[in-house]
This record gives sequence, structure tokens and C-alpha cells, in this order.
Amino acid sequence: MLRVANVSKRFGGLYAVSDVSFSLNEGEVIGLIGPNGAGKTTMLNLICGVYQADAGAIEFLGQNITAMPSNRICRLGVSRTYQIPQPFQAMTALSGVAVGVINGKKRPHMSLSDAALEASYYLEFVGLFAKRDTLARHLTLYELRMLELARALATTPKLLLIDEVMAGLNPAESSQALEMIWSAQEQFGITILWIEHVMKIIMSAAQRIVVLQYGKKIAEGTPQEIAANPIIIEAYLGGRYAKAE
Amino acid sequence: MVNLEFRRDRVLFRWGDQKYEWVIEPRYWRNPAIGVALLAILPIFVAPYPHILTMITTANLYAAIAIPLSLQIIGTARLNFGPQLYLGIGGYTAALLNLHFGLSPVFTLLAAILVCGGIALLLSPTTWIAKGLYFSLITLILPLTFLDVTFIYGDIFRGEVGLVGMSPLLSFKKVTWNYLAYFYLSLLLMLVYLWVCDKIVRSRFGVSMAAINENEDVARMMGVQVDRYKVFYYVFPSILSGIVGWFIVHTFRTFAGVTYLPLEFMTKILIIVIVGGRAFLYGAIPGAYLISIVEDSLRAFGPINYVLFPLVLIALIVFLPRGEGLWGLYHKRHHRDYYPALHVRRD
Repeated sequence: MLRVANVSKRFGGLYAVSDVSFSLNEGEVIGLIGPNGAGKTTMLNLICGVYQADAGAIEFLGQNITAMPSNRICRLGVSRTYQIPQPFQAMTALSGVAVGVINGKKRPHMSLSDAALEASYYLEFVGLFAKRDTLARHLTLYELRMLELARALATTPKLLLIDEVMAGLNPAESSQALEMIWSAQEQFGITILWIEHVMKIIMSAAQRIVVLQYGKKIAEGTPQEIAANPIIIEAYLGGRYAKAE
Repeated sequence: MVNLEFRRDRVLFRWGDQKYEWVIEPRYWRNPAIGVALLAILPIFVAPYPHILTMITTANLYAAIAIPLSLQIIGTARLNFGPQLYLGIGGYTAALLNLHFGLSPVFTLLAAILVCGGIALLLSPTTWIAKGLYFSLITLILPLTFLDVTFIYGDIFRGEVGLVGMSPLLSFKKVTWNYLAYFYLSLLLMLVYLWVCDKIVRSRFGVSMAAINENEDVARMMGVQVDRYKVFYYVFPSILSGIVGWFIVHTFRTFAGVTYLPLEFMTKILIIVIVGGRAFLYGAIPGAYLISIVEDSLRAFGPINYVLFPLVLIALIVFLPRGEGLWGLYHKRHHRDYYPALHVRRD
């Protein structure tokens, strides 16, 4: 479905992502992990077209999306959430989601009220229907993350890129969020590329995990393989722990 | 057969199978209709004073510039500091074509639309390239450059004295009738602009426009064709303000760059947008009326009014509630309305 081939991106002299390749099959949940500054979010930005890759190619459903602007990538069916929620502050939750409904794919004859109806479905799905007329700036962090999820789902993605949804949520909220993502995957049949720092969650959620460090891919495999891999233990915990294992 | 029934909040009128009801409780009155009615009957009270009639005509025209400007500010997510540029371009196009080639107002209107549209289309890539403050600076300089051009090529533009003697839109025998006719025409122009812009803001395009104003990058990520929208929201309001220039040419029958192009005029329009209600379309009308009244009443103080006028404006900005301008006084929080937030500096 998505194929990332030898992609590099540098900022000045620093390689944020260098020579990374991996691919996603339809219906998979792939985890993308790595220590801070490993280039995970840059990788996401490259896929969605925020940045242009310096080298390499990104293909989605057989189309080369390396140099496409993000609105066209979105229409092909890639959608994302943000690590730091970026809501439309002065807009209501409902109209924020309606933006995605109207623009997510070609819908030339959809009126605003139709869009609001469809948007309310996504809001209901993430459990924010009661807050539909609340301005986004008055929502809590959990609600903002759910709003982001609703907004991303509203563009009818085939591939959803999730950037650290669990950061800053308490255990109860994060288990709720996890359930929400599961049911989204089940109901809408989407493929997920998931960046996460909470190992417990990503290890149980992902079918395959890609590990980045200093912009390079250091490992790829099932969660069990990853957990047993000494290179990764070294990357996360330092050399001493790797030897002690 | 015919039955009239009075309820607490409404009057019911039945005729055969038909039922009509008229809500008499003020909070359910259609507010725009009241506003339009008030503006329409205003000349009855001020008709004997042509001076005041001219003032409110000017107020209508100010509003007719401020309404498209509000649309532009939200749609391009940038604060345009030179809304008077296209007023000047449209006005000069109409005036010069009318004076030198004798084109009738209908053709000068077309020409003004074409020229403004063309120039705006040429300049529209600035909305992609220049961000925040830089866009404001570029738009600030353009009308001043044009003003200089009107001085340099003084034999064509007559920068200092202005062009005079353009053919009028309407002319009646009585001068008062002319004043009245121009008031109603300007009111019509303003209301048409308000209607058109309001239609855009309340449609599906309005939601995407609000998203662009809130966060361009996120909007783009959600599939909004930001670049295309920004070109439209730059060009369309520019054409609308060009038409105001055409209107000024053919009603006041004099047009001087030195009146409309300097910073002073720009400040007035921007203050109308801000004091009226932070780029909220309806706010432009009370804002424009207030500014014209203040400007006109301060004129009695003589030269000191150049000091007083800014002071009054600063006081208005500081003391109006919640930074939401005059409209904020009236506006109840309907969250479904998008009340724009303006940021000059964005990253």
C-alpha cells in the first residue's frame, strides 16, 4: 500500500531521516518507534507532504507522492493526527470536522448541512457529539485528541498516520483512546502507521514495528523480535543493559 | 373563515387552510431585516441636510470597502494593509476611460472589473509567498507606489487636483434627489456586497475559509485546496473594492488619488474592520457609520481633529468589550458563527 524507498531528508547539515525504507500492506498496523529525535515525526511529515524528501521515493497505492502537495495526498487517502493537537481554535468541534468531510475527497455537491450531518457521525464515533458546539479552544487534551481523530477520519483515509496519541493522557483516557483506534480500524478498514512512546501499548497493538535511531532504520520485525533485539535495547537503555541481557 | 388570534409571542392569522404567523417577540425578529429597514428609512430624517446625506453615503461606501476586505482577511489568512489599492485602480480606470474615450458607465464598470481582476491575479501569488507581516508590508507599499505614480505622470492622472467631470450615473433636476438617489445606490451596493460575502461565509466554502484562517497547514493536510482558495479570496474582494472606486467616480464625479490612496484612508478602513467587529462581516456597517460620524463631528474642532481622531479610535479599540468591536456589544455567542481571530504575525 505505502512504500517508502531509501528516503532521506536533511535540515542543514543534520540528517533527520537518512536512507529509510519500509512498506505497509493493506489492513496492517505498523508501529514506528525510536528514541527522541530519531526522525519519526519527520518521517510522517515526509509521507504527508509537509516536507519534500531530498532523496528516495514514497509511493502510495502505486502513485508516487514524493513531491505532491499535502492536499492532494490527503485526497488520495492519507490522513494524520498531530503530536501536539492543532485544532482550529475559534471553530466549533462540528465545523472543524466538517472541513475534513467537505475537502477530504471530491464532493462538489455537498452542502454545509450535509457535511455537518456526516461530521456529527464522526463526532459521535469518538464520543464528542455532546461537545459539537463547543469551540475547540475550550476542549480538554483528551477531547482535542479525539477531535483530531474525528477530523482525520472525516477525510475518509485509507492510511491513518497517528503521532503519539497517548502522550499526556492518563491511563484511563489512554485505554479509551486505544479502544477508539481499534474500533476505527475495524469499522473503517484503515491501515495505521503509529508513532508511539508508550511501549506497552505499541507492543500489543502493532503487528510489525519499525525502529528508527538518528534518522536511520535500525530494525524491523514483530514486537517479540523487536523486544529481544539487543541493538534496540542498546538504543533505548544503553550498552550496559544490552550486555546484561 | 378568517381568523385572527393573539398569543403571547405571536399573532396567528388563518385564512381557509392557510396559516400565517408573525412573531412579535423582539428576540425572534429577523435582525438583518430590521437593520436594512432602519438604513432605508434613515434619509427621511436627514434628507433636509445634504451634508449628512453625503456623510452616510460615504459611510456606506466605507462599509462596501470594509466588507470585502474582511472576506479577504479571513480567506487569505493575511492582513491586507492596502485595501485602497484596488479602489484607486478601479477608480482611475473608470475615470480615464470615461474622460478620454467617452465610455459610458456600463463599459467603464466592465473595464474596472477586468483591470482590477487582472492586476489582482498578477499579484495573487504574494498570498502564497509572503507570510504574515511580510504580506502586510508588501500590501502597505503598493498603494503608496501607485500614489507616487499618479504624481509622476501628473498629466494623465492629475495626482494633486484629481480628475473631474466624469459622466454621472443618474442625474435628476433637483439636487436633493441626486443626493437621495446616490445614498440608495450606495446602500444597495453595500447590501449586495454584504449578501454575497455572507453567502460565501455561511456556505461550505466559508468553513474551509475559516480553516485556512485558523491554520493553513492543517487545513492543507485535511485536503483544503489552500492555494486555489487564497487566489480567489484575494482576487474577488479586490474586484469588489474596484467597483466601489468606479461608483465613486460616477457619483461624486471627481477622483483624486491623493484622497483615496494615502495611509490615512487605509487606516480608516482597517479601523472600521477592527472596531466594527474583528473582520466579522456585519460589524463593518456599524463600524463604518461610527467612523464617519466621529470623523464628521470632529471636523468642527478645526486642525486639532487630526490629533483627536486617532485618540478616539484608540479609546474605541481599548474599551470595546472582549476585543470584539462594536459587533461584540450586540453579538450573542452563537458558536456556529465563526468569529475570526486575526493574527498579523504567523510562522
